[in-house]
Amino acid sequence: MSINELAAAIREWPISAAVRGDIPGTEWFFPIIETLHVMALTVVAGSIAMVDLRLLGLASRDSAVSRLTKEVLPWTWTAWCVAAVFGTLLFTSRADVYVHNLQFQLKFACMGLAAINMLVFHFGAYQQIARWDASEPPASAKVAGLISLLLWTGVVFFGRWTGFTA
Amino acid sequence: MLRSFADWLAHTPLSRMMQDQLWIVPTSQSIHILAVSIVFASACMINLRLLGVGRSGRTVSELSGTLIPWMWRALAVLLLTGIIQTVTEPVRQFVTPAYWAKMTMIVIVSVMTMLYARAVRRNSPAWDSASSRPAQGKIFAVLSTLLWLAIIACGRFIAYTWSLYT
Repeated sequence: MSINELAAAIREWPISAAVRGDIPGTEWFFPIIETLHVMALTVVAGSIAMVDLRLLGLASRDSAVSRLTKEVLPWTWTAWCVAAVFGTLLFTSRADVYVHNLQFQLKFACMGLAAINMLVFHFGAYQQIARWDASEPPASAKVAGLISLLLWTGVVFFGRWTGFTA
Repeated sequence: MLRSFADWLAHTPLSRMMQDQLWIVPTSQSIHILAVSIVFASACMINLRLLGVGRSGRTVSELSGTLIPWMWRALAVLLLTGIIQTVTEPVRQFVTPAYWAKMTMIVIVSVMTMLYARAVRRNSPAWDSASSRPAQGKIFAVLSTLLWLAIIACGRFIAYTWSLYT
């Protein structure tokens, strides 16, 4: 099954019609789901920025990095799951359009790169965190923080632009 | 009267010039959402701590001292991008009840946050321990979380309801 066939098939699902508002009584589904998606994604982006800014030495310098990540990242993952569920629903509404939308593709490219960046950081600089936890992060950790900040900015930007171009 | 002011503003050279630049609104909205992320994620971290939800981490006064200044900075960005969007599309904003509800709630939650920050600054030790924390802390946490959620919802719903009022 090609991506086009899959996207076309998704569009035939009843849930797709409901999110699109094509079934009587579902006219407000899309705005409501989109609002819930925005609420969750702001927690994702904002909480990631807290960690990134700490790695860059621009915020929360008086907290150890590990203390900050233990406090913040469980909420990041929770909110990410919520955003993913509502985002998937939004996607089903016009899957065939979104798969061909450049901004939508760039959004997921940024998120994929952010995931790779996170893994590189986790299995790299983070393994020696005891050495720099309370002080200045090493250059590799700063670079990871900067890349993360830029990529998540890209995710938010291209996500919003998808709404204007799809 | 609001409508005639909006019509006048929409016909000013500045507004017309901005309307002609089709990238301005999506770009401004993208920056707007990034700033919402800082504000809302910060508010969530503080409010969850006030409610005693989640693992241990920074104290109430540490969280508030670090995050509230970032919230004010982000609010300045929100104000600026909000003005850009309002000047570019004044009718859409001024005719819509969701816009005025949003503005009213922003004033309320900003004043609340200012009073809260001052109370914590004046008596950090009492706020940092759950047993001595003023009871208003929980009320503030619930109210401010609900207000921010409602502000986000109203912001998104301006886009979906304005045409009902023109």
